[in-house]
Amino acid sequence: QQQQEEEFTEELLMKPLPDRKVLAHFHFQSEAPLAADESSFARHHHLFPKSISQLVQKYHIKAMELSFTQGRWNYERWGGFDSISSHNAKPPGVELWAVFDVPLHQVDASWKNLTHSLSGLFCASINFLESSTSYSDPEWAFQSALGSLRYGTLPREAVCTENLTPWLKLLPCRDKAGLSSLMDRPSIYKSFYHSQQLHLTMSTDPSDGSRSGIILEQTLTVVLQPNDQKAGMSHLSKTKIQPSWSLSSIFGRKISGRCVLAKLSNVYLHAERSLVNQLENLQKNTVKFAANDTGLEDFRRNAGFELSVTPERVHAELEKSSSILYEYPIKEYTDTEQFDLGLTWVHPIVWSSPHAPLYASRFLMGSGNERGAIAISLKSTEMTQGLVAAYNVEERCKLQVNVLQIVPWYVKVYYHTLQLLVDERPQALTDFVEIMRVSPSEDKVSPGVMELVLQFPCEMKSAVLSIEFDKGFLHIDEYPPDANQGFDIPSAIISFPDFHAGLQFSDKSQSKSPLLSKLQERSPVLSYTEVLLVPLTTPDFSMPYNVITITCTVFALYFGSLLNVLRRRVGEEERLLKNKDANKTVFFRRELAKLSAKLRGRPLELTLPCPSSSSSSSSFVSPKLILRVLLVAGIAVVWQYYSQ
Amino acid sequence: MAEISDSPSTSKSAEENTQTQTPESDLKTTRNTKPGVKRLIISVTVLFSFILGFPLLWKSIEIYRAPLPFDRIDAFSSQIESKPLSFPCHFQAIFIGFDFDFKVSHDDVGAAIARKMSDLSHGGGCGGCGGNYSVAVAVDRGDINAFDFGEKLRGSDEDADELVKSVVSEYGGGNAYSVVVVNEEGEVRSVVGKYRHAWIVGRVEEEEAVLHVAEVFVKVFVNGGDVEGSVRSEFMPVGADGRIVLSFSLLNADPRDWIYDWNFREIDETLLRPVIEALQPIANITVESQVLYHTPKSSFSYWDDKHGSHMFRTEDLPFFVNSNEWHLDTSVAAGGRSKVLQLVVYIPSAKECPLQLELPNGEISKTNGFISPMWGGVVVWNPQSCIKDFESMDPVRHTISPQDLLKLFEVLMGQLRQLLGLKSDNLYVGESGTSILLGSERGFTEWELDVLSRKHICFNLHSCATTLGSLSRLVQSLPRMIIMDEIGKQVKFSLEAAKFAQSNASIGIYNASAVSSRQSRSLAEDAFFHPSIMSISYYSFEHCFAIYSPFFLPVTMHVLLAALREWKRYKQENRKYLASKAKVKVS
Repeated sequence: QQQQEEEFTEELLMKPLPDRKVLAHFHFQSEAPLAADESSFARHHHLFPKSISQLVQKYHIKAMELSFTQGRWNYERWGGFDSISSHNAKPPGVELWAVFDVPLHQVDASWKNLTHSLSGLFCASINFLESSTSYSDPEWAFQSALGSLRYGTLPREAVCTENLTPWLKLLPCRDKAGLSSLMDRPSIYKSFYHSQQLHLTMSTDPSDGSRSGIILEQTLTVVLQPNDQKAGMSHLSKTKIQPSWSLSSIFGRKISGRCVLAKLSNVYLHAERSLVNQLENLQKNTVKFAANDTGLEDFRRNAGFELSVTPERVHAELEKSSSILYEYPIKEYTDTEQFDLGLTWVHPIVWSSPHAPLYASRFLMGSGNERGAIAISLKSTEMTQGLVAAYNVEERCKLQVNVLQIVPWYVKVYYHTLQLLVDERPQALTDFVEIMRVSPSEDKVSPGVMELVLQFPCEMKSAVLSIEFDKGFLHIDEYPPDANQGFDIPSAIISFPDFHAGLQFSDKSQSKSPLLSKLQERSPVLSYTEVLLVPLTTPDFSMPYNVITITCTVFALYFGSLLNVLRRRVGEEERLLKNKDANKTVFFRRELAKLSAKLRGRPLELTLPCPSSSSSSSSFVSPKLILRVLLVAGIAVVWQYYSQ
Repeated sequence: MAEISDSPSTSKSAEENTQTQTPESDLKTTRNTKPGVKRLIISVTVLFSFILGFPLLWKSIEIYRAPLPFDRIDAFSSQIESKPLSFPCHFQAIFIGFDFDFKVSHDDVGAAIARKMSDLSHGGGCGGCGGNYSVAVAVDRGDINAFDFGEKLRGSDEDADELVKSVVSEYGGGNAYSVVVVNEEGEVRSVVGKYRHAWIVGRVEEEEAVLHVAEVFVKVFVNGGDVEGSVRSEFMPVGADGRIVLSFSLLNADPRDWIYDWNFREIDETLLRPVIEALQPIANITVESQVLYHTPKSSFSYWDDKHGSHMFRTEDLPFFVNSNEWHLDTSVAAGGRSKVLQLVVYIPSAKECPLQLELPNGEISKTNGFISPMWGGVVVWNPQSCIKDFESMDPVRHTISPQDLLKLFEVLMGQLRQLLGLKSDNLYVGESGTSILLGSERGFTEWELDVLSRKHICFNLHSCATTLGSLSRLVQSLPRMIIMDEIGKQVKFSLEAAKFAQSNASIGIYNASAVSSRQSRSLAEDAFFHPSIMSISYYSFEHCFAIYSPFFLPVTMHVLLAALREWKRYKQENRKYLASKAKVKVS
């Protein structure tokens, strides 16, 4: 039989963004066929990374996605209705979901082992997702497979170069050759958004036409700010011109040679639909003045920008004035020639990226340390307005929205306080909620999960979901090291199942490119909201030790004093005092007798000892007591210091 | 008149002195009433309540400790250290073409061989057959002609091996190590077969035959052909859980020059499967392979016009392996304490092709590879043609041919044998001459497997004794550490497996003994590295002192001082009372 080969492809998509930034999307895909006999599966490899296939075999992974993200995807400016914003826009920190091919009672054990293995592979604290308080099993958000899905996030995980290096180790050429040699670490980690992702799929049914095997997609999505070198020319025109860029100016290096192990090695430049519209409008104006007919056929030059390299192929969508994709195969270049794609703007253009049907954002309400509320705000965009116009004649259109919100257990959410405001008016939940699944949180066991399927009318302007919560108390050893920073609530996921992001290229531009296949894939539009930061009440962490020490000291002093008081003999002390007084009286009398003997009897001297003896007896009592008390206190203090 | 005034004042002062002295002496020296005991009872009761409360406090901070058999562990450790493990080995010498009847008897020849073996073994070590040897001697019964038999033995070595095997079986060989000496005309030739026998053919004198037979017995069959007879315990590459992962890697130094691949599945099924099955008693071996790219070496090579190739020397070997670029250790399968042996085939880039290893004596290495004990081995494989194809944009993808793969795996198997402690070549050079060691298609001959089993049994039991001894000392030195029942079970089962391994070794069942010794070592390691050991310091003395001293130290001081004072005062007052009673009796 024909032995299937392992394949590797590398692709890079560059896309100018409306807010003067550039999106760079690296896409690497490795495929490994499943061997006929099961015994040698995941044991012999040629291109596919050995550790990944061993993970798949050991933990019976059916699908898995792991992302390391820093920064936040700007859905308003960078788009919310394309493949990249649905697949590669991820919440900050670490996000991991996995579907296992094991019986239901073994899914949790497989998840825990997987988190530990990934933690070692990627130099990250993914093992913290092992705890049952850190992951959940949503049912509808990812269209999961019958309860075998597990989902967890670590919003506070810092992402840095030590996460990129093991990710690069999985590539056959790593960062030695090919597109990955562009990954300049300072440029990548200075970016506004950085997300490296690992997506694993097992296709085990050959009946659907695709080959059975493991498909590993490694993507790195970066949003970079090119240097504004033409700031001096901005005063010439009304609007500021977009900054021009090239691969060398963005990444600091050029593509010198491709990865020779790659079956496909392409660079793409994507101009989205609104930009193409503006370019066409600009082209019409230019044609009126210059009457140049050959300008339309020149791919390098148009009315808006110039490309430094002529593209090999141009992919256009089926519809008119659709987005355009320029293709540059790196295979044509030898090792001595270096590929450096550059884009030079010649005219200021303003355009906008396509948006999801609704803007989704989330914020906290309320004040104080006891309770608050989480609000999810959905605002309509111009796309829904277009929907209203389209559907206005025929029938009343509905907009389905799926909401998944996972809240840690120490934020006690009261799901009965869920409220819905549509166009700023309170509404009954039953009018809009089709399906609701609520899994309340259990202290120290599981987080709270809420899944909603909502149906909104298309002409709706805004909707707000709000739910109240109490801020709980943690045990003292459950606080993180910087407890005063607050606690993170993971991003909520808003998905629109009726809308599918994806370009539709013409049939003639079909190719074997995995990136183009992914861009054309019809996938649900999906958005992540902000990560919320809830400040919980933090105790004084040194107070228990102070309380223990002070209480022990007070009890020790009290006990000692009480024992001493119980042992006192008041009568005996009084008798002792009287004896001393008598002795003093005798002494005084003897002296006086001698004096009277010498002076021959003066009766005035005999009366003086009486008041002096009484005053001396009163003075003898109080200093004794004071000295005794001070002595006991001093001894106790010395013992305290010694014991400390 | 003056005399009258003096006498009244003197009499007055005398009267006053008498009155005051009497109650003062009473208060100081005597006491009329019995002293009260209420305060003494209060103080002593408080003291006793503290003393009685101490066991309760001690009970509350007590921890659970499963009983461990410390005596058995100490006995096992001392037994392993004092008395070396002895394996019963049977030796048999068969003489063909000799005339012993008129000179010496069979027992004398056997005793001479045994004496020579004792001299050669240097006292023996662990993994050997002990110091006392007994050799059975047999002389042909006239049914074998020396000349005809010698002619057959000089033919094909494989056929001779089978022939000698049948002869040994006729003379009741069994599992004994046998040497057949054939005295006939011709050059002396010595061959060790792939079973448990060897043969010497040629013109052999009797004393020379005795020396030769003894040397084959000791140096080859007992020590495995290794010059150093002792077990190098630091070079036993089996993991603590009894597993070895053979990780094969094909490194393309620069895939822009050429890309080579290998069909490793066929090699795995045809060549490696018998090796894995042969080594099953020693270790549980799994095999995996990968191909890596952009993997240059760390050391440098120089061009040699004389040999027409790039050379790297033995002093460059420590820097050959590039740990930064050779991602060899990503193996999820080797979990826990398994041992990974890396077997690497390195294909140099165009600017270093061909690459040869220069030995210290200036010769070129035939294998073009080297091993690193406990890590693995590297073989440099040069392509047939070092000319890079500049015309094609894409480098040509080659697959290593089956013939080249076979040669490569011969070298790799030699490296594996060296890593396990055996010889990699097929010659043994001794005092009495050179012996040819026949190879086996399984990679290891029967007598080599015996040597490996003995060495691994010895190493496993020694490691088990060391680990259990360390665990025993650790547990006894930390009386506040929790010992779980699981650890106790593991220790008990480890000792039982070790005892079973020893009994099987003394009987001579090597396979079962090797498996049991592996289990005992694995269980000892599991017990020693149990997660609960040393996870936290359970209620250490410093912890107890820090927690309880702020309250109990001052309070105990108060209680003790109060009781002491009350007791002291009681004794003092009682003495006064007794003195008063004595005075009353006197008066």
